[in-house]
Amino acid sequence: MNLQLSPEDLAFRDEVRAFLREHLTPEIVYRSRTEVHPPNEADRRWWNAVLNTRGWAAPSWPVQHGGPGWTPIQRHLFEMECRLAGAPELRWQGLRLIGPVICEFGSDAQRKRYLPTILEGTEQWAQGFSEPGAGSDLASLKTTALLAGDEYVVNGQKLWTTEGGDAELGFFLVRTDTTSKHGGISMLIIDMKSPGVTVRPIEMINGDVSTYEVFLDNVRVPRENLIGEPGSAWTQTKFLLANERTSSADIDKAWGDLRRIRASAARERKNGRPLLEDPAFARRLAQLEMEVEALDWSVLRVLCGAPSRRPVAAAASVLKIKGSSLQHQLGQLAVDALGPRSLRLYTREQAFAAEPSALWPVDVPGARADQLYMRACTIYGGAMEVQKNIIAKIAFGLA
Amino acid sequence: MNFALSDEQKMLADSAARYVRERCDLESRRQAAKSPDGFSRRHWRHFAEQGWLALTLPEDAGGLGLGLADMVVLMEELGRGLVAEPVVDSAILCGTLLAEGNHAPSRAELLPRVASGEAILALAHLEEGGRAEYDTPVAARATPDGDRWLISGTKHLVCHGPAASHLVVSAEVAGEMGYSLFLVEAGANGIARDDYSLIDGTRAADIHFSDVPATVRLQGAGGAARALHHALDRAVIAGAAAALGSMEAVMDLTADYLKTREQYGQPLAGFQALRHRMAEMLVETEQARSLLYAALAALDGGDGEARARAVSGVKALVAQAGMFVTGQGIQLHGGIGVTEEYAVGHHYKALQLFDKRFGDSDFHLDRRARTAPTH
Repeated sequence: MNLQLSPEDLAFRDEVRAFLREHLTPEIVYRSRTEVHPPNEADRRWWNAVLNTRGWAAPSWPVQHGGPGWTPIQRHLFEMECRLAGAPELRWQGLRLIGPVICEFGSDAQRKRYLPTILEGTEQWAQGFSEPGAGSDLASLKTTALLAGDEYVVNGQKLWTTEGGDAELGFFLVRTDTTSKHGGISMLIIDMKSPGVTVRPIEMINGDVSTYEVFLDNVRVPRENLIGEPGSAWTQTKFLLANERTSSADIDKAWGDLRRIRASAARERKNGRPLLEDPAFARRLAQLEMEVEALDWSVLRVLCGAPSRRPVAAAASVLKIKGSSLQHQLGQLAVDALGPRSLRLYTREQAFAAEPSALWPVDVPGARADQLYMRACTIYGGAMEVQKNIIAKIAFGLA
Repeated sequence: MNFALSDEQKMLADSAARYVRERCDLESRRQAAKSPDGFSRRHWRHFAEQGWLALTLPEDAGGLGLGLADMVVLMEELGRGLVAEPVVDSAILCGTLLAEGNHAPSRAELLPRVASGEAILALAHLEEGGRAEYDTPVAARATPDGDRWLISGTKHLVCHGPAASHLVVSAEVAGEMGYSLFLVEAGANGIARDDYSLIDGTRAADIHFSDVPATVRLQGAGGAARALHHALDRAVIAGAAAALGSMEAVMDLTADYLKTREQYGQPLAGFQALRHRMAEMLVETEQARSLLYAALAALDGGDGEARARAVSGVKALVAQAGMFVTGQGIQLHGGIGVTEEYAVGHHYKALQLFDKRFGDSDFHLDRRARTAPTH
């Protein structure tokens, strides 16, 4: 047992910090720290390209496809440093979801066609998984892709396609076989500009649009856009999720939130004293900091393959449940720290353009938008209740 | 970074787990609770023979010189078996004070006897008005008398005081700022005890000192509080490991119960509300375990503030999580859970003890709030 970071890891962290100091500008950092969803698109594409020049755009990819060859701990350190430094959050869909799937299951032609533009950040991806009738029960999805010559003809409707409005490409779960539930699902790459693809924005409770509905109406897709064998998407999806086992903890965001809350509370006054010195507030903050630190070590345990009394597969759901619960609590504490002015509605454009003042300090625009948006985090990626079912089954054999 | 147990740690865990499985059944635990010592002398001898009491004591004084991580491995297994013996109080808390004290002769003479279990040490520190050993007021006085001191005062809630052979006593010497720590024999003249039982059967005492002669000052006023905090930190971590053992045991017992107990024509496991509760219990247990690793890391490499922060975190979070897990263990069992005849309620009481000893969750949360954040 050795619970300290190695000298190599510490040196790596210093290298990352130096890189971030060198490249991030105050304007970029300011926009990132507003925590508005979705973040500024130009910033993200720019940062994607900057990281790619260093070979750091895709930490989770195999080296032969452009990954940096980091250990899980290095990847964790990198993400934490990026968040704390205020780097734009890169889009997940290409880099973290479909990219690794194409690396693992894609054909050589698919790798050659799609991986370079993901690394460069020049083509963005939409994820088409959920449907109106297939939320938690994803495998009941109904969108069909029927082979007609060398093309699939796709019909159906997808929902909760995050950041799908400006995506060039999409990866969709489609039913190529209606006789088998899980075994009839395939993963298909669709050009979002194809005739028959309609993308409709969905306004969320924070007043912004960050997710979309996608209608697929007789969309013709080349046969070679299917990833792997027909009917193998369930395996690919499980791989995709296992690849991101610890990211649902959202641990770097949680640390960033704590910093933001602490800064707000140091400035806000209560009874003429800094809110940070109010015993009730200080204890709430200490409680959350304690829980976030525990979650951080839970992530480290999973990354390092720590021994466990119970099946390791349950750990991903444990991280998801605690990470998302903490997001709710952090969001609430952030707006509580700001008091009634946290009620003001800021659109994304207003938030980016806001001039901080004594009445409307810098952290006001993003805190409420983030808090409202993050109500979704106990729902997306497998709802809280589904995660509990999974744990009961895997960890305790209860079903 | 590496969380894997060494071969030695695996052997330690296995041998402790085997002993707990074979010898520490609930019936023997209940008998121990009703015995005069409040624990089993048979278990105590076994712990000593196995070297478990010597584990973290220094090698030059009869110990094995191993680290706190090894102790954590051992304590989790003993916690599963509802350890009642004064491992933490004697071998960790007072053992650390003696090992790191300023009195070489008593260290050389007494520590080997702590390791062998022949001597049992207890801390007599808490006083009226004190809620945590970390910051209790100390009104006891030590009056210089030639080459010794005469100690007077009343100590409160001295755990294992009735069975102790020696007491580590805090008292202030007139004219000095802060208390010193003295070592006295439990049978010394001028000591009177009021003994009582705690909820789990642990025997404790209020101890009245009336001009009790002490010749050994382990720590003077300059270093006593710091030394004591360090020893308390180690005791908290060992205790937290035992608490985790209780939580794991309760989850195992409860999952088994849900699979076998039938109501409304089906096993309780068929009810999603109950399955979800089990999932919540695991989530909180994993959080607690993770912070225990954080504390081990901080004690190994961190500065004073980082240590205080990590230890207070583990104390508060393990207590919160442990009371939730063992409390829900009772709830999911139904009536049997609140009986003396079933282990779940005993684990619940063990967690109540863990929460209140060495400062409760509120105390440690406030202590943690006063430290600088990690990030």
